[in-house]
Amino acid sequence: MALDEAIAVARSKNLVPDTLRFFRWEPSAVSIGYFQSMDDEVDTAACDRRGIGYVRRRTGGGAVYHDRDGELTYSMFLSQSHRLVSADFQESYETLCSGLVSGLRLLGVQAEFKPINDIVVGGRKVSGNAQTRGLNVVHQHGTILVKVNPKLMFAVLKVPDEKIRDKMIKSVEERVTSLCAVLGREVGFDELERALIRGFEASFGIRLVPGTVTEFEDKKAEELRVEKYSRREWNFRR
Amino acid sequence: MGKAQIKVEGGKLVKVQLKSEGDKITEVKVTGDFFLHPEELIDELEKALEGSKLNESALADRVKAFIKKHKAVLLGAAPEDFAKCIVMAGAKSD
Repeated sequence: MALDEAIAVARSKNLVPDTLRFFRWEPSAVSIGYFQSMDDEVDTAACDRRGIGYVRRRTGGGAVYHDRDGELTYSMFLSQSHRLVSADFQESYETLCSGLVSGLRLLGVQAEFKPINDIVVGGRKVSGNAQTRGLNVVHQHGTILVKVNPKLMFAVLKVPDEKIRDKMIKSVEERVTSLCAVLGREVGFDELERALIRGFEASFGIRLVPGTVTEFEDKKAEELRVEKYSRREWNFRR
Repeated sequence: MGKAQIKVEGGKLVKVQLKSEGDKITEVKVTGDFFLHPEELIDELEKALEGSKLNESALADRVKAFIKKHKAVLLGAAPEDFAKCIVMAGAKSD
């Protein structure tokens, strides 16, 4: 999360071009939306016991369990004046998600955008996305489920009532799917990343060039990690 | 302290924690998986609602006016949903 904000800052200062980043969470972690309450959403004691991290995002939306081996996360950073960015948030979600949709279709997954901020296959969610804007930069990040484990998800997320834990697990199994489940085979992270890059290029009419984290981004990320994202003041502020 | 939550039809979850005196809000916290842009405005919005009466339509107007004044965008919930949830929490408040 710290590197995401660092890239947004670097983009706002014109130190880097528009950027697409892919990453996985190491260790696995739960992220919560800007407006959520950590205590309400996350069983932090269970996370601590299992070595699972937890962090508040700079974007709204819901709590997400990011499994190291079960999901790929992307972030994109665009100047607010970019032709793909609309003043309308809903429209921008659809446009920016179209790159993911087209990448998933290249893999043979019949993905569709579903307002407000989801991508679904056969009505079941395979990707959630969230956007924020500031300093003339649009930052959208999201997750693509490669494998899903609702039991583990609910071991770290709070449930309103223990008696309905099994019901909630079942409900997630019905509402959420993953690339492995849809395709009935293993899907590698490299394969997925390559397909998404092609999807973004085709859908946006752009060419993506490999890059590395700049010294500025690296330093800024470390600063944000120490001063913000690792702190209780931020993570438990609501 | 009163608590309430509503799932907005076709939208997100809104949760409210509220302290009140009589029919006036003394402290309110609105959480959930909705989107408000710019995000930082949530603290200011909660402050702006302090002292307001627990009246659903008046609260909705207040949230609407706040959003308009700050050129903010609320996605996944409407000002009316915030208002409704606040009043529900107020009804449960001691």
